[in-house]
Amino acid sequence: MKTPYTLLGVTEQATDTQIKQAYLQKVRDSPPDRDQALFQQIQKAFETIKDAKSRLAYALFTIPAADFNALLSLAFRTEEPGKPLRADDFMSLLSAGLDDQTILAAIPYKKS
Amino acid sequence: MKRNLLGNSSHKTIQNKTLEQQALSQFTAGRYKEAGDLYKDLLKSADNGQWHQQLAQCYLLRARALAGKWMLKEAIILWENYAEQAPSPLESQDHYITWLLVTKNAAKIKTYLARLSAADLDERYPELAALLGLHIITAHPEFQAFLPQDSVFMMHLDFVREALTAYRENQPDKLDAALKKLPFRSAFRDFRSLVKAVVQFPASAEQAHGLLTKISAESPYHPTAQALLAYMSGKEAFVPLILQLNHNQRRIIVQAKGFNKKQTELLETLHKQHDRLTDKLKFNLAIQYQSLFGAEASQRFCYASLASYPAGRKDYDKHFGRLNPFDTNRLKALQAEQDNNNYDAEGYWHHCLMYLKNHEPENTDKIALLQRHIAKKAEPEEAVALLIDSLNYDPGDRESYLKILKYYDQHEPDPSEHATSEYKRWLEKSLKQFPQDVEFLIFAIKAARRSKAFKKAAQYAEALLKIDPVNTPAKQLLFSSHLAHARRLIKTKKFHLVDKEIQAAEKLSLHKRFQTQAQLMRGFFQFLSEDKKQGLIVITQALQKLNADPVNAHFQAAMEALLLDLPVAAFLKGLPAIKDQLLSEQGLTHLLQLIKHYNEQDVDRKTLHKALEKIKPVIKKSVQQQDYSEDLSLLLCQTLDDIEHFELLRHCAKLAQAKWQKPIWLYYQVYSEANGDPDKFNSMSLLRLQHSLEQARKENDQRAVFLIGRFIERYYEAHQPFGMGGIFDDAFDLDEDNSVEDMVEDLFGHLTEAVLEKISARLAVIMQKSSPERLLQDIIKFLPKSTNPMEIISLLQEPDFFTAMAMIKAADDLGIKTGVSMEDILEYFDMDNGPKQFPFPFF
Repeated sequence: MKTPYTLLGVTEQATDTQIKQAYLQKVRDSPPDRDQALFQQIQKAFETIKDAKSRLAYALFTIPAADFNALLSLAFRTEEPGKPLRADDFMSLLSAGLDDQTILAAIPYKKS
Repeated sequence: MKRNLLGNSSHKTIQNKTLEQQALSQFTAGRYKEAGDLYKDLLKSADNGQWHQQLAQCYLLRARALAGKWMLKEAIILWENYAEQAPSPLESQDHYITWLLVTKNAAKIKTYLARLSAADLDERYPELAALLGLHIITAHPEFQAFLPQDSVFMMHLDFVREALTAYRENQPDKLDAALKKLPFRSAFRDFRSLVKAVVQFPASAEQAHGLLTKISAESPYHPTAQALLAYMSGKEAFVPLILQLNHNQRRIIVQAKGFNKKQTELLETLHKQHDRLTDKLKFNLAIQYQSLFGAEASQRFCYASLASYPAGRKDYDKHFGRLNPFDTNRLKALQAEQDNNNYDAEGYWHHCLMYLKNHEPENTDKIALLQRHIAKKAEPEEAVALLIDSLNYDPGDRESYLKILKYYDQHEPDPSEHATSEYKRWLEKSLKQFPQDVEFLIFAIKAARRSKAFKKAAQYAEALLKIDPVNTPAKQLLFSSHLAHARRLIKTKKFHLVDKEIQAAEKLSLHKRFQTQAQLMRGFFQFLSEDKKQGLIVITQALQKLNADPVNAHFQAAMEALLLDLPVAAFLKGLPAIKDQLLSEQGLTHLLQLIKHYNEQDVDRKTLHKALEKIKPVIKKSVQQQDYSEDLSLLLCQTLDDIEHFELLRHCAKLAQAKWQKPIWLYYQVYSEANGDPDKFNSMSLLRLQHSLEQARKENDQRAVFLIGRFIERYYEAHQPFGMGGIFDDAFDLDEDNSVEDMVEDLFGHLTEAVLEKISARLAVIMQKSSPERLLQDIIKFLPKSTNPMEIISLLQEPDFFTAMAMIKAADDLGIKTGVSMEDILEYFDMDNGPKQFPFPFF
């Protein structure tokens, strides 16, 4: 679910300066001559949340996003950037992945 | 006998040919069982190599088809039948081994693995080699003993073991060295990628991700790659990825990540319900697992879900406390807006506004934003009131000032009164708030020009040009302000100041045409102050430069002379005669531009009409004889409407209607016949216009719809002799109006109090939201088409009739069947005899 915040890659608590910096970076990454539609989306996103008043208007007049995936991610937060996988777990994953379906799909049929 | 023997053999040959053809056609049609049976029959009669081959193909293709349906045991038997019939090398031997692996037929697996050569493993069956490699390093190391020991595969298997030992013993250099020995074409290529990715994580998560996503979907290592991607991902990507894994993979990841019982339980619930995650289920999960999500996040999610799952409101209140009226109404308003129900949305927003004003008056930004939001879809009068109020809470909003100003600019009845009007007040406020704003300065210039304060207009224009030196409209406004001021100075005989003004105009670097206009003004200046003869020459030259068409030159000469209170004739003498002239399309276009120019200068209408008088015959003749396009004719009519020249408008509209017969031309015809005055507009014309309005709607002619609709509204405004405002103000005060009370009792008395209250409440809403004109139009729709128009007009002057009809509309809005028909009401209000008791059949 793309919101102006996710599109610009900033949090809802971001300041005007942070939003402007993120916007400029996005414009540099996706200039209008490369992808006009994306550029317009970026521009619109910036206009929507560029200052406190526009952010308040966005919060007031937009149906709040019921983003279940975002909610779920809160339930499975782990330390960043994650811990290395133990060799035993790796071996267990190799075994667990080798199910009947995988075996049958491993060799495609060639035309005889 | 000999003949008989020959006959039998020939008969058998024919029979076999027929069978063979049948077998082939079954085979081609994909009916391999039937084809196989026929080939078996054929083989009973002769040992034909081709038939053996065909039969073998039937077995093979059936085996593959059944394997595709997970009927592996049957597939195995069929492949073995195939192997009996077909010559070497056998096809699908690798598939056959996979079927044996799935059915765990250990004895046969060993037999067939033992039959594989080194070339089979290293070259012929690369996919099988990859699969067997994975089996050997995970659950079936015993397979190794049956495989050719001299194969590259076996050598690579040693490297794999070396790498795994190094991984277990945490010896990165050794691990790296072992992996490097596995070339790109190795059966353990994907194993190498997996291990590389695992050891790179978390230090080089992106590179690890890249390695894992490159493993193809057919590879037996793909499921592990997916599991590792889930393990390595965080935030929102994690849940969708882990839900795609099988139970064992999920269990391992959950343990490796150290998730608790509750988290595991949630994951399993999500997995079970993955395809059935309704709004309700998500809402309930958010409440159930609040401890995992955090109370605030759960509440936010549930609040947002209420828009699509309003039934969750009770549970929401129970778990998070009651929503305040602001949040309740805000959600309803947003939902109504999403459903394009702006009427209800506005109502809910007003509730929000009321709540904020009463409970959070310090929240000024929110109040102002809400008012501006409601204003966007409100009627202009309500919108401007909201915008004005919003500035009490947030005084710096430029857009609001601009909208207010535009509203008063368009809605004040007489622009000439702007000097003392709301418009002027708001212009002053706006300029005080935004002294450097180009748009407000343009408003100020135009306002000053309208009140003939040309010097002030020039000052504003100069201020604007300081901010935006290349602003052409500002330059043009400054230019015309200088010339207008020069004209005033000439008129008041302050000749010593005129030259300075004209020079100021000339100094502005504008198009050559503007210089010629300045030259024209200089000509008049010379004519009046210095040398009449020389002045006249300059005037004539300038007029001819400005106008290619002599008709337009005449018009401009007349205009300029009249604006200086000079006799027109003197200036027309030097110009070519126009008696026999006709205006070309180009000439007419230029004339319309000239008229527009003078009209925008707020020149007195009488002056404009007087100047047009000189060329009126030419215009009339041109419209009659020239074949102007419909667009140009429309532009002509619009211009004549703007300057209210109804005589010419009548002439043009009549000819145009005869030529094109469209609603817009009928409108201009009817409108000009009434001189644009709804008071002079009869009921027949109203019905004609209403018919045209319908036609325009059908033809999607938005311009005609707007013009006709607006004129009909003005007609209704002009025809309110019974004081519609009073009816609306009183909102059916039954206690004080006995006749209304009688009417309600007579016509609607059979309804229950509760129903009447509902209708009354709806009526109040309609009264509040609808303009009287809109309500009248809505009411007219209920009347039978056969109703006499004169009768309608006469009935609409009867307030009780209006009330009755409004009640019918309110009931209709609510879907309430009152049992009162239009005929009942018309009969009740029989005007000849006055209102009478109504004999309801059910009384």
